[in-house]
Amino acid sequence: MRSILKNKNKRANVLTENIIFIILNLVFLSILMLFVFSKTGGAAILEEKYSKQIALIIDSAEPVMAISLDMEDVVKTARDNGIGPNDAVSITDNIVTVKLRDKGSYSYSFFNDVNPTIKFDSRKGTYEIFIE
Amino acid sequence: MRFLLNKMIKDNLLIKGKKEKSEIFHRRFFIKNRKGDKIISIYWFSILFIVAAAIVYMVASFYGEPYDVREVEANILTNQITRCLTNAGYVSEGVFVGGFLSEGFKTNFRDNCHINFETEDVYGWKDTEQFYVELGFFDFNSDTELGKIVEGNINLKDGCLMNGKNSPSCIDRDFYVIDEENNQYKINVVSVVRKTEKNVQ
Repeated sequence: MRSILKNKNKRANVLTENIIFIILNLVFLSILMLFVFSKTGGAAILEEKYSKQIALIIDSAEPVMAISLDMEDVVKTARDNGIGPNDAVSITDNIVTVKLRDKGSYSYSFFNDVNPTIKFDSRKGTYEIFIE
Repeated sequence: MRFLLNKMIKDNLLIKGKKEKSEIFHRRFFIKNRKGDKIISIYWFSILFIVAAAIVYMVASFYGEPYDVREVEANILTNQITRCLTNAGYVSEGVFVGGFLSEGFKTNFRDNCHINFETEDVYGWKDTEQFYVELGFFDFNSDTELGKIVEGNINLKDGCLMNGKNSPSCIDRDFYVIDEENNQYKINVVSVVRKTEKNVQ
C-alpha cells in the first residue's frame, strides 16, 4: 500500500516537473520571438527605412514626374498608432519626415532642388509623389 | 503499472540471481538517473540561453545599425551633376565659353544643376554642410585644366583619404564629352556625402 502511494507521488512529481519545464520553455521562446518581431517590424525601423528611401527617390527624380509608392506596412503601423496616412509621411522644404508613433519621427534630407508633394491615394492605397 | 514493472524486475532478478542486472535495475540506479536528469535540464537551459543570447545579439546588431545610404546618395549626386553638364552626349550649352569654363555657370552652379545642400537641423548639420562637390574640366588631348568648380564643405575632402566606416562616402568619376565643334573634354566629378550620424552607429 505504501509503495503504491509512493509511486503515485513520484508520478505526480514527474508530471509537474515536465509541465513546468515545457511552460518555461514556451515562455522563454515567446519572449525571444516577441523581441525579434519588435525589432524587425518596429515603427522606428520603418520610419528610418522609408524616409531614406523617399529622399533617395526624390534625389534621382526629375521635374514633371509622378511616382507611386506602395507602403502598406507604413499605413498599417500608422493606423495602429492612431496616425492618419496623410500625416504619416510629409515633405517640408527638402526634408522628408515619416512619423508612425506618437512620440518620435525620422527625417532625412534630399539635395535635389525640386518641389515635391506627397499625398495618400485612399482608392489605390498608395502614396503618390509629384515632382514639380 | 510501474509498481508491477518493478515487481516483475525484482522477481526476474531473484530467479536469475545475477548481480550485474540487480545493479542496473536497483532503485538506487533510478535515483542516480534522476540526478542526471537534473544535470541534463541545467545543461539544456544553458544551451537555450546561449542560443537566445546569440539570436538577440545578431538581431540587435543587425537592426540596431542604421541603413547606410551615403554611397547611393553620392552616386545619385554624381549622376545629377553628369546629367546637368551633358545633353545627349554633348556638353550642355553655357558650360564652356571660348574653350574655358564659363564664369556664369560656375557662379550659379547650384541653381543651374538644381542642387540644394541644406540639411535637417540636427547634430549641428546646419552650421557644417554635409556635402562636397569638386568638378575638374580638362582638355582631353593635352590634359590642360580649363576650370574648376568647388561647392560645399571642403573639409570633407580629406575624409576621402581615410578608411573606416566613420569617414565620409566619396565617389570619384571621370567622363568624356564633346561640344558641337567636336572639341573633346574630360570632366572629373568628386562627390562626397558625410551624414555620418544618421548612417553609421
